[in-house]
Amino acid sequence: MEGLFFNVNNGYIEGIVRGYRNGLLTSQNYNNLIQCETIDDLKLQLGPAYGDFLASLPPNPSTSTLAAKTTDKLISEFRYVRANAVGALAKFMDYLTYGYMIDNVALLITGTLHERDTRELLERCHPLGWFETMPVLCVATNIEELYNSVLIETPLAPYFKGSLSHQDLDELNIEIVRNTLYKNYLEDFHNFVNTDPAMSGTPTAEVMTEILEFEADRRAINITLNSFGTDLSKADRKKLYPAFGRLYPEGSYMLSRADDIEGVRLAVEGVNDYKTYFDAAGMGQSSSGAGNMSGGTGGEGKSLEDMFYQKEMEISKGAFTRQFTFAIVYAWVKLREQEIRNITWIAECIAQNQKERIGNYISVF
Amino acid sequence: MSLSYGIGGAASTLAVVGAYMLFTGDGEAFNVGQFLEDVSPYAWADMGIGLCIGLSVVGAAWYNFHPPPHSPPKVIKLTKSRGILITGSSIIGGGVRAPRIRTKNLISIIFCEVVAIYGVIMSIVFSSKLNLVEGEALYSGNNYYTGYALFWAGLTVGMCNLICGISVGINGSGAALADAADPSLFVKILVIEIFSSVLGLFGLIIGLLVSSKAADFSD
Amino acid sequence: MSGAGNREAVFPTRQSLGLMKAKLKGAQTGHDLLKRKSEALTKRFREITRRIDEAKRKMGRVMQIAAFSLAEVTYAVGGDIGYQVQESAKSARFRIRTKQENVSGVLLPAFESYNTDGNNDFGLTGLGKGGQQVQRCRETYARAVETLVELASLQTAFVILDEVIKVVNRRDINSELDELDREEFFRLKKVQNKKQRDTAAQDAEMKLKREAAEKADEAEVKVESDKKNASGGGESADILGEQEDADVIF
Repeated sequence: MEGLFFNVNNGYIEGIVRGYRNGLLTSQNYNNLIQCETIDDLKLQLGPAYGDFLASLPPNPSTSTLAAKTTDKLISEFRYVRANAVGALAKFMDYLTYGYMIDNVALLITGTLHERDTRELLERCHPLGWFETMPVLCVATNIEELYNSVLIETPLAPYFKGSLSHQDLDELNIEIVRNTLYKNYLEDFHNFVNTDPAMSGTPTAEVMTEILEFEADRRAINITLNSFGTDLSKADRKKLYPAFGRLYPEGSYMLSRADDIEGVRLAVEGVNDYKTYFDAAGMGQSSSGAGNMSGGTGGEGKSLEDMFYQKEMEISKGAFTRQFTFAIVYAWVKLREQEIRNITWIAECIAQNQKERIGNYISVF
Repeated sequence: MSLSYGIGGAASTLAVVGAYMLFTGDGEAFNVGQFLEDVSPYAWADMGIGLCIGLSVVGAAWYNFHPPPHSPPKVIKLTKSRGILITGSSIIGGGVRAPRIRTKNLISIIFCEVVAIYGVIMSIVFSSKLNLVEGEALYSGNNYYTGYALFWAGLTVGMCNLICGISVGINGSGAALADAADPSLFVKILVIEIFSSVLGLFGLIIGLLVSSKAADFSD
Repeated sequence: MSGAGNREAVFPTRQSLGLMKAKLKGAQTGHDLLKRKSEALTKRFREITRRIDEAKRKMGRVMQIAAFSLAEVTYAVGGDIGYQVQESAKSARFRIRTKQENVSGVLLPAFESYNTDGNNDFGLTGLGKGGQQVQRCRETYARAVETLVELASLQTAFVILDEVIKVVNRRDINSELDELDREEFFRLKKVQNKKQRDTAAQDAEMKLKREAAEKADEAEVKVESDKKNASGGGESADILGEQEDADVIF
């Protein structure tokens, strides 16, 4: 049924986004990139895909400016699509930006707590998470004012309300605040795609549910793994797990009680995908501890996080096999983010002369 | 979603009118046979012709495409070429990043257009059966048959073309996007598109057969 | 010792022969002492140079790994965590203390690094994703800073030793020239010693006088004795200072 009406408002956007997706770097492109000897070579190789955006870079730019310029392209494309989106798609895309907004608000809260210069903070904010009233937040001088203006001025108010008070902002670690917000955001987003009349029962709901469930599980697993050895209590940790996903509820419950990696492995046993990742990452043996991630001194195997990224990219790629769905916008943004990460990684490897691990990027096309 | 409101509205109106007639003692006036006999065969025939062309055109156009507010210049040329249906917007969107698809994918647009042409042809065929008949002579068995035949033939053609138009549209939209991604897919999808385009032809044939049995209106 | 051209003009007497012999002996002793010191310092110096070389090489490797682990964090977190880490760090986890080492009379400062336990300010950074990388990056950077501290302490020692060795060597080479100056100085000192002895005798005399006078009239003598005390005290301090200098030279 969605085929009957989807294109009325969104056909153009879909065509555009699919066009953007076709512009993503392929494994062939990546193969060329990793042959580069200098950043300038890299810039040259990226020319066809990024063109104008890299033209203004000075010779031998730093990797961070390279990353910033590639992000600029994503931002400008996203803004173009957002400007053309109407109705449910516009709302969907707003939801997409809330995730970045949470990061920005967390940044502003940190800055305000430490009484930093807020103008400098605004520059550090992720442009995708920019909202019009953001500069207003910088006027706040104490945490209570900030809390009130966040409630009034941002679309994030529902995520604050009920789970965080202004004392919490002051007392809790900013990471806990951020993850609480993110949990509420994921739940809200999940609810939105499944109940909105324009989306429920369509491929959008189907694909987005898969993506969001994966995201929820990934966060739950990561939070559990990363909380080992910190002063985050199990009860507090449990509050950060989103209340949906393939692990919910039994897996989440077991995660909340896990003491070590072995406990996490048992918790994810019910979901075959995650179990495979754990086995492949060699975390089942619980020998080398949480630090068993691929790293400068680590092993050559893929880390759990790498595999999660890989999985995310595969789901995103799969989203493009469906037509008449908003999910491709989400998938495209995620694919592009990964591409930027890949480019930054390759650039870092070239700049630091660490060629042996240059192939660690994730390419699905 | 939006369909259910219309159907619900029509059903409740009918129920209210029927109940009103029943409860005000005019129950016997709710007589389907008499209603059919009373209605002029012209009404049936013209309604058939109208539905035939109307549904076909709706099927072909499905929705007029609104040009996007911030489209770059090259897109506007495409919007002018044909704002048809589901396919159109996909071609435009896909064409921004892969301009080569615009000419090739006009085939999808033409397939949709053909559906409307079927409707036009059938309407012309049907309307050639209309002759002026005055007075009671109109209500002959022959003329009743012609009226009903044109009505149902028109409805058949119209509905077939409507569905055909939609399916060609969805297929064409897929074809445009697939072509933008990988040019080798175009021909493969075009084959599928031809299959859905044939649906309209089936309706056309049946419509012709049904209406060919009916004689022109005569005294 | 010296070349024939600038031979020291000595008046050939027995006395000056004895004088010259004493001078020679003093010079040789001084030279030996300095040479031993210089050798000890040079040995230390070479060792430090070698360790600096090692530390610098290690530094290169460690810094590279550390910079790379930061790249990994950027990859895993997908953004800049710098600001957050900066803001959530409340007190230093990695601290250094200084201690001093004595090498042949030269004090070399050394820095020693240690971690304060239980300080985990940004332990939750990257909780949602990339936390492990952040922690690993932190460890790598802690190692890098450790190497940096080691290098810094070696470098400081290097600079100080370099300076000291230069001074010692210069004295070794120039000791002969200095010898002449010292001879002159010694003469002056003898004169001063004589003066000092005279003043001491005078002082003793005055003291006796004063004690006698005190018994007669305390108040009258006070002003006078103060004056004399002041002048006598100043003179003796001067002499003491010069004597100390001479001690170092001989």
